Amino acid sequence: MRTSRTLGLVMIAPAAIMIFLFFLMPVMLTAIFAMTNMSTATGISGGAWQVTQGAINRLKTDMPELATGIAEPRFVIDEEGLAALEGLKLKAGFTTELRASHMGEVFPSRREAERVIKALKDRPSTREVKQISDLFNRSVLNTRFETRDDLMASLKKLGFTLTPAEQETVSKATYTGWVWTAENFRILANSPDMAQIFLNTAFYVSVTLLLFNVTYALFLAITTHYMPASTASVFRAIWLLPRITPVVIYVLLWKWLTWDSGFISMFMGQFGYPPKNYLLDSAYNAWFFVILINGFIGASMGMLVFSSAIKAIPQTQFHASEVDGASRWQQVRHIILPQLRWPILFVTCYQTLSLLASFNEILLSTRGGPGKATEVWSLAAFHTALNNYTGNLEYGLGAAMALVLVVVGIVLSLIYLRIFRYDTLISKPLIED
Amino acid sequence: MRILLDKFSKSFGSTKVIEDMELEVGSGEMLALLGPSGCGKSTTLFAVCGIHRPTSGRILFGDRDVTNLPSQERNVGVVFQSYALYPHMTVEENIGFPLMVKRVAAADIKKQVADIAALVHIADLLGRRPAQLSGGQQQRVALARALIRRPDVLLLDEPLANLDAKLRLEMRSEIRRLQKETGITAILVTHDQVEAMSMCDRIAIMKSGEIVQIATPSQMYNDPRTSFVASFLGNPPISFLKGRAEQGAFVLGENGLRLPLSALSGIPDGTSVSLGVRPEHFGTTGGIPIDGKVVFAETQGRENLYDVVLPDGSVLRSIQPVRDDVKMGDSVRWNLDSASAFVFAEDGRRL
Ligand SMILES: Nc1ncnc2c1ncn2[C@@H]1O[C@H](COP(=O)(O)OP(=O)(O)OP(=O)(O)O)[C@@H](O)[C@H]1O
Ligand SMILES: [Mg+2]
Repeated sequence: MRTSRTLGLVMIAPAAIMIFLFFLMPVMLTAIFAMTNMSTATGISGGAWQVTQGAINRLKTDMPELATGIAEPRFVIDEEGLAALEGLKLKAGFTTELRASHMGEVFPSRREAERVIKALKDRPSTREVKQISDLFNRSVLNTRFETRDDLMASLKKLGFTLTPAEQETVSKATYTGWVWTAENFRILANSPDMAQIFLNTAFYVSVTLLLFNVTYALFLAITTHYMPASTASVFRAIWLLPRITPVVIYVLLWKWLTWDSGFISMFMGQFGYPPKNYLLDSAYNAWFFVILINGFIGASMGMLVFSSAIKAIPQTQFHASEVDGASRWQQVRHIILPQLRWPILFVTCYQTLSLLASFNEILLSTRGGPGKATEVWSLAAFHTALNNYTGNLEYGLGAAMALVLVVVGIVLSLIYLRIFRYDTLISKPLIED
Repeated sequence: MRILLDKFSKSFGSTKVIEDMELEVGSGEMLALLGPSGCGKSTTLFAVCGIHRPTSGRILFGDRDVTNLPSQERNVGVVFQSYALYPHMTVEENIGFPLMVKRVAAADIKKQVADIAALVHIADLLGRRPAQLSGGQQQRVALARALIRRPDVLLLDEPLANLDAKLRLEMRSEIRRLQKETGITAILVTHDQVEAMSMCDRIAIMKSGEIVQIATPSQMYNDPRTSFVASFLGNPPISFLKGRAEQGAFVLGENGLRLPLSALSGIPDGTSVSLGVRPEHFGTTGGIPIDGKVVFAETQGRENLYDVVLPDGSVLRSIQPVRDDVKMGDSVRWNLDSASAFVFAEDGRRL
């Protein structure tokens, strides 16, 4: 018996490896990315320290003094500047006097520095004053530092003596590379935009799933079951079309239908309505069509699964129930539906996950519009991480959104398994070991 | 309630299964449909209960024409050959199903199910599902489900095939008792002639879609209309001798046996005929002595069964009270009771 166990493990190994490579690895990578603030701006390798306007804004709340301080240009009379001044070969008196009477002085603004320079005994011209003051400009604004220590040294020169804690804050605020952070999840939890997208998704998934992928699919499967075989197969073939048409073409057909020069506009034109784009006309219409577009695809898949499951019910059970006096409806209710629990569970699970994860139909039809009316979670993740108008692709935030999808998917699946009492659906293996 | 099949025909596409069948089952009668596999027994039942619509002809329950009535409106109980239990329901729910769809109160259903389950001895299995039952238990569940709503007509498609010998005997009398008590008109399909003879008022023997003979068991046994009927009834089965008619007598072989039979008077000499002899009519008593050799001997407990080869090679079967003086290979001279033998024409017709 032990050998059969080992054999089982060996046989399952390829599948386990596949699961690890193609399911667990992507999820793990997504989880890792989700814990960073990677974006186009940070890049995905390391970064530098730079006092950008953004960094100053970030510092304003914690260290307002420092923030205003480094936001301004700063002028320091130092040996470095004096050496440069000598190099300009202006009057030697400038250097001597500055070194003698002003060495080490820090001026918070250009005006104050230039007042001192102007007051030099050798009387520099206005042009020279400007030239000289430039040499002593020690601003850090928009300067890029390759290391953290360079930044700190510069700040020190400017007269900011920082405690290690303050140094840490400044360093964080000015670092341009990506860092580990849980900020993404805070954004997801707190942003009203995200809440709206979440509600959109819940609405879209539950309505499409309930109305079309399960109920309408069941309706089709059951009605075709009671039809004569040839009619039923014609019917099924028609309902399969949305599934087998390439999605780009399928959505294009819908667009033809709904465009301002499309079929609906033409039809309504007969009654005097001006043509309009019915797809993007209002949020209500956009949802209507998005749900139809996805629902028809989902319904055909469900119809296939349910039809074959109904076919698998032995004919005599239908005979017996008729003889027992059951009406059509009672047959459906007591004979067909209970035996479709497994396929319904399967379709519900599968379709929930695919509705949650796939956004191609929406992207191709409404692009989430009008406005953000039909923006769903996966589409928003795509827009955030991979494709948006501002050009700053936020990989970290996008990954966090994707991770939320994975977690939601798993939680929902577990709930479904409970609701459908999965344990009663699987029978014990016939071969015992 | 009387059942009448009037010129009933059924074909599936181009295969004609049953043609112009006439069958009447009297009210409260139990009729056995007996016949070889594939002869159309189930098809007939399915037409009576409304699962199949007849291709032509009428079906009457009492005086009511039900030909085009759906099954639901016929009040027929059926035990299907394959049981057709609902796998997702417990035994209790299976049995209660006909009442449940009639919206009988749950408490009532529970009580009636308990009663009928006790009757067919499955009271302790009510909580199980069909997959957890043996074949015989499933069959009894099917029987209980057919009986629970007190149908006017009960159709049984080999209801006892899967039971052990003891249970089968018990159920035979149980079904018969139920049927008599309730006055249900019943049709029993079976392969088993003992079952047919012991349970039913009349037997209809079918052969490839036709009813060959319909009669009470004893009439059928003692007065078969064809060799097919004669061969179908009786266990151990009848044996046939092939010979010819000669001056009002049956002649076997060139210079062999000669049996004067009244049935053969008026039959032209030389006509090929066959003689059917039941095992109990060949043995120690009877008028005409026949020589042969025992080639097979078997004891069935109370009786012994012998196959005897005659000089011309044909075989006669004999059943006799147990005796141990005859063994395989012995030559014997036993007697044939020619008055009880049947003579059949070459086409199987009884003469
Ligand atoms: N749906 C069908 N389509 C075509 N032929 C059928 C169909 N149902 C039955 N038949 C044929 O009709 C004939 C009678 O079938 P039926 O089931 O009535 O036999 P039966 O007497 O019940 O046999 P058994 O004792 O084996 O159950 C068979 O030859 C069978 O092949
Ligand atoms: Mg049959």
